[in-house]
Amino acid sequence: MRIKKLNIGILLFVLVGVVPFAAAFIYALLYSFGIIGVANDGFTLQFWESVITSGTFFKSFGYSFLIALVAVAISVGGALWITLKFRQQLETRFMSFIIYLPLAVPGIVTGFFTFQLFSKGGFFARISHKLGFITEASQFPDLVNDGLAIGIIFSFLTMITPFFVLLFLNVYKNERVEELSILAQSLGANANQISRRVFLPILLKKTWVLIVLYFIFLLGAYEVPLILGQESPQMLSVLIIQEIKQYDLDKISEGYVVAVLYTLIVSVAAILLFLPKRKRAYAT
Amino acid sequence: MFLEVQHIVKSFGDEKVVKDLNFSLSAKHTLSILGKSGCGKTTMLKTIGGLVPPDSGKILLNGEDITETKPEKRSIVYLYQEDLLFPHLNAFENIAFGLRLKKIPEGLIKEKVEHMLHSLELEGQADKMPTQLSGGQRQRVSFGRAISTNPSLLLLDEPFGSLDTGTRKRMQELFKKLTEEFDITSLFVTHDLKEAVLMGNQIGFMQDGVLKVYEDKKDFIQDPQTGVQSEIEFWGGLL
Repeated sequence: MRIKKLNIGILLFVLVGVVPFAAAFIYALLYSFGIIGVANDGFTLQFWESVITSGTFFKSFGYSFLIALVAVAISVGGALWITLKFRQQLETRFMSFIIYLPLAVPGIVTGFFTFQLFSKGGFFARISHKLGFITEASQFPDLVNDGLAIGIIFSFLTMITPFFVLLFLNVYKNERVEELSILAQSLGANANQISRRVFLPILLKKTWVLIVLYFIFLLGAYEVPLILGQESPQMLSVLIIQEIKQYDLDKISEGYVVAVLYTLIVSVAAILLFLPKRKRAYAT
Repeated sequence: MFLEVQHIVKSFGDEKVVKDLNFSLSAKHTLSILGKSGCGKTTMLKTIGGLVPPDSGKILLNGEDITETKPEKRSIVYLYQEDLLFPHLNAFENIAFGLRLKKIPEGLIKEKVEHMLHSLELEGQADKMPTQLSGGQRQRVSFGRAISTNPSLLLLDEPFGSLDTGTRKRMQELFKKLTEEFDITSLFVTHDLKEAVLMGNQIGFMQDGVLKVYEDKKDFIQDPQTGVQSEIEFWGGLL
């Protein structure tokens, strides 16, 4: 009976989780080699050559990687600091409501708000003008659609920092970090040593899988970079959609090449990161 | 006297949890403190350990007033009721935790921890994570971690409360052995009558925030408040 239930579970997982993904991947793979597609007429490496030699993909991947890395690093660091310093205040009903609130805001809305606040015709530009800091809109610094991706990173931070704060607060409670800190103090640790030897290692060791998953999620984010990103280089998802929707039919196949490459890199990275350490992560 | 506690009072809000705590303890001795849940035992231990500040009173350790000293500077280790190990460290690193804080050379840390593992009968368990150890093993690692720093005073808050009878008996024997081997001075809080008699050189009884320390074990046994007499009557009645 139990084996039967297990088999049904596996079957459902394969049907819902594996088959659609595998089908979409195979479709993209065939498209990228010109085997299927309206304007394609058989197997060719032309689209792969074009994408690899143009360097657009690698530039876009590197750009996305850096943005995701900076956003995750700042938000994890910020959330750890908030958890360490304001834990007791965050446990009040009002504050826990406030911290949950940003999680309910969709990415596209966050992107739109950021644009409204930081664009050259936005809220802060107008205030700066009123206060006499700038005399015309062009003097306001580029904070959206800019090369340093400040707008994108800001939006990502507002989206994921509350999540990490909640995650760390939960782990802090479940892992009894409070008692362990008192114990460490009793063994001779000062506040700094408690942070470095107890607080940080416990919280990061318990949450690193989610941190990496969030990094992968940001790497493939679409709405926020679509609203706040620059023309070139673009973040990966924006580049892929743009290529696939072009009038030039060859570009559609190149878009699928980018999608396949991205999927392969992320999948290989995820396998390398998670498989060897899975046993250890659960043992602790 | 090695430890002198003078007129310690501690309240939480309107509730006076520890009332005029007065006692002293010689070096290398264990004072067992018996008392029901909520009588103020844990607050008393935490106050002595510096984890809870007293409202008034004085604590002297080896002649030095430590009432205002930070917990990490007191050389007093407080041991929780549960086997609270650092979940990210293996048994070896848990025991080495306090030693690493003191920045002792690596070779000496290895030597001390291996000796401790041997004393605790934990050879071969050094690399195991807390989740891979049994309750008794975890409690032994917890002891080892506290003793390895060579504290002046060990505060044990019902350390065997969560163990089964057999493991508890073995741990009591091990603790007796360790106190002799490492010259430990300790306060041993328990709510088990037999354990209090077995573990302490002196015995105290705490009720409603007041601690009474007995001159000798006979006084403790004869005091009807401690419950020893009713225990004797109960077991005698079965014969």
